[in-house]
Amino acid sequence: MLVLTVAVATLALALGAWAAVRLARDLPVILRQLVAGGAVEVALLGQVAAAVALTASGHALAEPLTFWGYLVFALLILPGAGAWAFADRTRWSSAVLLVGTITVVVMELRMWQLWGQVIPG
Amino acid sequence: MTGSEHEHDELDDRPPSLGPGRVLIAVYGVFALAASARASVQIIRDVSEAPLAYGLSAFAAVVYIVATLALAHNGARSRVVAWVAVSVELVGVLTVGAASLALPEAFPRDTVWSGFGAGYGYVPLVLPVIGLIYLSRSRPGRVSAG
Repeated sequence: MLVLTVAVATLALALGAWAAVRLARDLPVILRQLVAGGAVEVALLGQVAAAVALTASGHALAEPLTFWGYLVFALLILPGAGAWAFADRTRWSSAVLLVGTITVVVMELRMWQLWGQVIPG
Repeated sequence: MTGSEHEHDELDDRPPSLGPGRVLIAVYGVFALAASARASVQIIRDVSEAPLAYGLSAFAAVVYIVATLALAHNGARSRVVAWVAVSVELVGVLTVGAASLALPEAFPRDTVWSGFGAGYGYVPLVLPVIGLIYLSRSRPGRVSAG
């Protein structure tokens, strides 16, 4: 789970840095960034699969509802930013993508905390 | 754009509600989602555990949703709604922030606004201030591509 958390967060950070560069250069989000966003989503889906497998084989989460809620919402953030990029062809779509990637990173940190909180025994 | 909106624009020299405003709407959207999710989880799990804190979470979620929709729509009436929602948000974060520090026993569980939004990097404290500045400086009229 740590590997996947780091992978998602690193990919999201890289995409956020890319969006920040395009924001600074007054450029909108381009399709290649959406492909990169797709890579983040694939990593997130991998995290879902790993979480399902590990909880099924005995990893008892202290707050399962919160954890799964974060995971599902994390999956929705970048598609939302992507839809925004199609509607808004200005630099501000880059700013929205940057906000989205920061949100994903923060959610990954929170999910990592929640994953470590297991029911004792 | 209709004729009346155009005339209105000519009378109003503030910048249009574009650009940075969209980022504000996006951040509001994220907080609307986050606050709703948190309130749902808290209430589904056990509402009797901390009814005041969980009620405030739900209230904050509704305020964020209303503010997001009103800012995004940006019509004449929705701007009034946005003014009210963002002001309620500022009063809420200040009141709940102060109360959570003065009377911690009344807030056994955190809300979005506890400790002036410390659990969310103080974004809940900064967001309504930016929202009010944005509303006072931006021009009414629908957000449009440009």
